[in-house]
Amino acid sequence: MQKLGEFKLPHFFNYPPYFTLQPVRDTREKQVQLWKELIIEYCRAQKVFIIGLEEDFPLFSNRAIERSLSHEARVAFLSALVSDGRAEWTDKGHKKCLILWHRIQEWADLIVHFVKENGLEDNVMTVEEIRSGTESRGTELYGIDRSVLMRALKLLEHKGKLVIFKGTSTDDEGVKFSL
Amino acid sequence: MRRRPGIGGLQNAAAARDQYRLLGENVAKLRTDLMKEQLSTFRSQLEDFARKHKNDIRKNPAFRSQFHEMCAKVGVDPLASNKGFWAELLGIGDFYYELGVQIVDICLSTRAHNGGLISLEELCKLLGQRRKGAREAVSEDDCLRAISKLKVLGSGFEVISVGKRKLVRSVPTELNKDHNEILELAQAQGFVTVDEVQRRLSWPSGRATDALETLLDEGLAMIDDGDKDGRRRYWFPCVSSISSYAGADTS
Repeated sequence: MQKLGEFKLPHFFNYPPYFTLQPVRDTREKQVQLWKELIIEYCRAQKVFIIGLEEDFPLFSNRAIERSLSHEARVAFLSALVSDGRAEWTDKGHKKCLILWHRIQEWADLIVHFVKENGLEDNVMTVEEIRSGTESRGTELYGIDRSVLMRALKLLEHKGKLVIFKGTSTDDEGVKFSL
Repeated sequence: MRRRPGIGGLQNAAAARDQYRLLGENVAKLRTDLMKEQLSTFRSQLEDFARKHKNDIRKNPAFRSQFHEMCAKVGVDPLASNKGFWAELLGIGDFYYELGVQIVDICLSTRAHNGGLISLEELCKLLGQRRKGAREAVSEDDCLRAISKLKVLGSGFEVISVGKRKLVRSVPTELNKDHNEILELAQAQGFVTVDEVQRRLSWPSGRATDALETLLDEGLAMIDDGDKDGRRRYWFPCVSSISSYAGADTS
């Protein structure tokens, strides 16, 4: 099986027609499904949060078979993820796409789990500590995109599970948990 | 018998005919009885053979295939029913049933990719992967037998020949001669172009495009517009092996 770094690529990635948007409806559905799954799994494994449509995202081309996804195809697959609620366009021009291999609610659940696991129920942490501190190393929270983290935290704040407060500058935003 | 003129003579001729007919029937009956006896001996010898070589029949696909041929010659079908002597002795009724179920499953799970047509070779390979832990190895002959049993169930499964290859069809799509010829052409590289079809088969342009469009609509073909020379390729998943897609193409 071909690999991209440590990531194992599925067989369809080496079959040229999958890089062309299929006209027949059933075939197209199958194609979109496969690409959606691949994009999510890759982003999860490599902790990719933002995909730039005009950039060199590794999944967009396969040099071994000399094929690349057209812009239209890239938009089609990412739009499908957006419809599923697993991705969001970050700009009106649809040039960048935020990938939510965990939905915001799932990230919130992970934060709650993280807090309980580490006995931080009544503690205070900075936002930066949550995403890059020693406790988060080895967990899915490590390296999480900051804007995604903020949204998850705000969701939890809305539920009364924590309070976000500002420090002297943006980098010092803190969180007090009250689970 | 001396021919006698008159009514008496006619009656004698009729009686003679009757006697000859009776004799003929007796001879036929004798022959049938003999044959039945021979067949019965043959069958019991076959049963003895099967008992003795039960393990070989189960474990060795080549041996199993020859055993089936022998049975067929004697008019015995070990798979005719799941009950009875053969099924119990060899348990191979279950074996083919199980195989049938696995084949149906593989065809269903690959249908979205290949449109319901899969090469026998690929099917056997996937079957082998699925049965990695099983005691019994599976041959293409076994697959064909299991599929013929499936056919009897009216499940729409059929084996068709395209060139040198056999393809297993699990959808009601009927392939006409034009489609078959294109599939055969596609076996070389896994794909064809309209030009190639026209050139190699000497068809007018409409005929090639029509056939290819139908195959596309049926989900048996996929388009590929990524080639450097800009010519659209029609790929046929059913003639390739899923796990062996080539890296760089050689054309």
